[in-house]
Amino acid sequence: MNIAEFKDRAFSEAIKKGCAAAEIYFSEGDSFNVDVLEGDLNEYQVSKQFGVNLRVKLNGKDGYAYTETLDNPEALVLKAMDNAIVIETVDEHPMQGESEYVEVKREKSPLDSMSEKEKIDFCLEVERRIKATDSRVARVDGCAVMSETGRTCIYNTLGLSAEETYNVALSYVVPIMVQDGEHKMGMAFRSGKKALDMDEMIAEAIEETAIQFNASSVPVGKYDIILRNTTAASLLSAFSSMFSAEQAQKGLSLLANKEGTVIANELITIVDNPFHEEAPRAFDGEGVPSVITTVVENGELKTLLHNLKTAKKAGVQSTSNAGRSLTSPIGVSPSVFYIEPREIDYSDLLKKLNNGLVITSLAGLHSGVNPISGEFSLLASGLLIENGEVVRSVDQITLSGSFIELLSNVNAIGSDLKFDLSFGSIFGSPSLLIGSMQISGK
Amino acid sequence: MTDKNIANKVLEAALETGGDFSELFMEDTENNNIRMIDGKVETASYSRMKGAGIRVLKGTRCSYAYTADTSEAALIETARAAAAAINDVPENKTTSFCVKDYKAAPKTPFSTIDNATRIELLKRGTSAAKSYSNEITQVSAIYIDVDQRIMVCNSNGVWAEDRRPRTRVMFNAVASMGDEAQTGSENPGLGMGFEAYKIIDVEAYARQAAKTAVTMLHAQQCPAGIMPVVIDGGFGGVILHEACVHSLEATSVARGNSEFCGKLGQKIASDIVTAVDDGTLPGEWGTINVDDEGTPSQRNVLVENGILKSYLFDILGARRMSHPLTGSSRRQSYSFAPTSRMTNTFFAPGIHDDEEMISSMGDGLFAARMGGGSVNPLTGEFNFAVLEGYWVKNGQIYCPVRGATLIGKGADVLMKIDRIGKNMWMGQGMCGSASGSIPTNVGQPRIRVSEITVGGNGGAL
Repeated sequence: MNIAEFKDRAFSEAIKKGCAAAEIYFSEGDSFNVDVLEGDLNEYQVSKQFGVNLRVKLNGKDGYAYTETLDNPEALVLKAMDNAIVIETVDEHPMQGESEYVEVKREKSPLDSMSEKEKIDFCLEVERRIKATDSRVARVDGCAVMSETGRTCIYNTLGLSAEETYNVALSYVVPIMVQDGEHKMGMAFRSGKKALDMDEMIAEAIEETAIQFNASSVPVGKYDIILRNTTAASLLSAFSSMFSAEQAQKGLSLLANKEGTVIANELITIVDNPFHEEAPRAFDGEGVPSVITTVVENGELKTLLHNLKTAKKAGVQSTSNAGRSLTSPIGVSPSVFYIEPREIDYSDLLKKLNNGLVITSLAGLHSGVNPISGEFSLLASGLLIENGEVVRSVDQITLSGSFIELLSNVNAIGSDLKFDLSFGSIFGSPSLLIGSMQISGK
Repeated sequence: MTDKNIANKVLEAALETGGDFSELFMEDTENNNIRMIDGKVETASYSRMKGAGIRVLKGTRCSYAYTADTSEAALIETARAAAAAINDVPENKTTSFCVKDYKAAPKTPFSTIDNATRIELLKRGTSAAKSYSNEITQVSAIYIDVDQRIMVCNSNGVWAEDRRPRTRVMFNAVASMGDEAQTGSENPGLGMGFEAYKIIDVEAYARQAAKTAVTMLHAQQCPAGIMPVVIDGGFGGVILHEACVHSLEATSVARGNSEFCGKLGQKIASDIVTAVDDGTLPGEWGTINVDDEGTPSQRNVLVENGILKSYLFDILGARRMSHPLTGSSRRQSYSFAPTSRMTNTFFAPGIHDDEEMISSMGDGLFAARMGGGSVNPLTGEFNFAVLEGYWVKNGQIYCPVRGATLIGKGADVLMKIDRIGKNMWMGQGMCGSASGSIPTNVGQPRIRVSEITVGGNGGAL
């Protein structure tokens, strides 16, 4: 059975059984990943993915069911209805009807037009060249290309018909470098139209790895810090659910009812931009046309991120932030979410810091942050800065604090906006100079 | 899920380009998920995942292809897609299978349970957590059941079928006061059917989540620095999981990317440390009858009295290191190639007294409940979060503290374990790594580490 027939049968069964509406969210794609090691193919992976998520609306309540097999639409409708019947929340979740979308153009990646053989050869060349570039590179832990193309479609009985193709193109390298018996690992990636920028990527990977050598801890205390761009982006990512109206309405965000108040230093502006070239999209997970949302403007919280359900409850418009995966109900998630850069370049930021630490990496972001309390305590590493100059590397320290306090203590913002490696929502930040943060160490 | 003729054709197609090993993994998994907020069901969903993954090896070269289409034509096409990565001379080979059926129906299959019964568990837990204290402002609860049916066969004649039911409830309580909020969570689960809830006391777990949240609401910020730490039993075993055993997985060891490479037979931990990974414990969250390559699960003693005894192996890792398999190959689903992973991993019980560990520690931290963590196996640097901590002053519990993180290097911390208690129990987690997210148990008796770096945001207490 094809998807069109499956959809028609599911819709007619749902209506026949008394559902007010039904919706199909469906995606299919092909992916190709290759990884090389020691001049030979190491891992090679190809896939065909396919899945259908069915949502039915029964007595004003939503039920979901998911399948990867198009064999029995009627049974899937019954599963979804079973799940709608038990819903007890009274919050209405409107379903998007027929909509117009602006056409969104994704820049093509040079990877898109390469054969599998060319992709493998590219990886082999990256491995060869990174070893040749620096004799401390002992081997690679990963040297890979990933590409995926596919389409996502949403259809419902209210006339919604939203279709969009997507593609992901990415290369990365993870060198393992050895110096004086110390082993260190670093990483760099390039995506989209830059996916083949080999030399830049290699230089960055080597630099990221080499700065870790000869590191030691620092005494416990308060330090001024620079949270380097990608590190700030990953922290923003870990706390992004604080900006979700869904979490706020459930009493799980300290930013609930804080719209219109100052929550950050006036230098901070945070934007959710679904049209951003990093990952442009025409509509969100429930078919609402994309809009750009200024979430924080000069330190003031303007709005939280909404889908149709949270917007209805709050009496506002959706910000086109419905998040949806094939296997879970509609939630709220950012699109391309970032802190706006300012004018200061990184070297001037170092001078401005004068004495303190640059935090180049944070670990434990899935466990050491609590978006409900807003607090974090994370393993960190980076650089010790004295008189605006790098003195040495630092490891085995922790950075602790509250995210809101951190946003309030930002003293300067760099011009070096960079996006972190992520799938789904994309997070970005420039480097942030922050006063007086608690560091644990020796 | 498929018959032996088709399987044979698929395995042969996968070897057409000269691979020396091919494998077909098929899966049909049903999952129910219910979320409750504030005592009301918020969402309910059902999913069914069905697909196949085909792997071809040539030496240590690995090629993997997967598809959601399990028709014969699609399987053959997928096998050829995987084979495309190999370029060698094929040998003609037909496999005769040695069939092992590990499937057993759970006592109470999830398909016999209606949503109302599932929801009743969440309601009972939610009201237990709410009634713990009027400072509890929110309780969210999640119910999950998964019934995974798998078949794996390979060109060496392995044919194994298994059924892996598992279920879990997750309670997250929020305690608030003014602009402050703190959380507590408990996430018990077992590897069995709905009969699990004859064993799991949902109210007790939910109350514990509430107790953690309220305790942390009234806690001071944890002081930072290097100090002795006592880590309580159960999920505290995450320290073993992160600080040691991830670095014993062949995924890291076989590529030379672990601080424990080449250390078999050597002392890597203090003499009192014995560590085990045991996938055979009946009905546990991390238990598997057979691994995802068809090797029966077994009890692996990893460290015995401080001496490193074994790594964890899958077929590819065993090839790289010429070592017998340990029944440790796992994957999240058919969309992942399998690799060496943990099952139920724990420190074996020791001889020390729980109270004495604290009374003789001087000043330091008692980590009563641990959260998750992570590790870089190459350097051994690990971190994990303390969800409920107490400051210890002169060997006495002084006050609750929050926001603590433990960091260090695996090889250092294992040597600094100076007490291991007598009673071991386990907690449940989802472990994320190269082959996806899989259910694992971590466990230990109460232990003490003589010194470790504690991250926190507070001053002296």
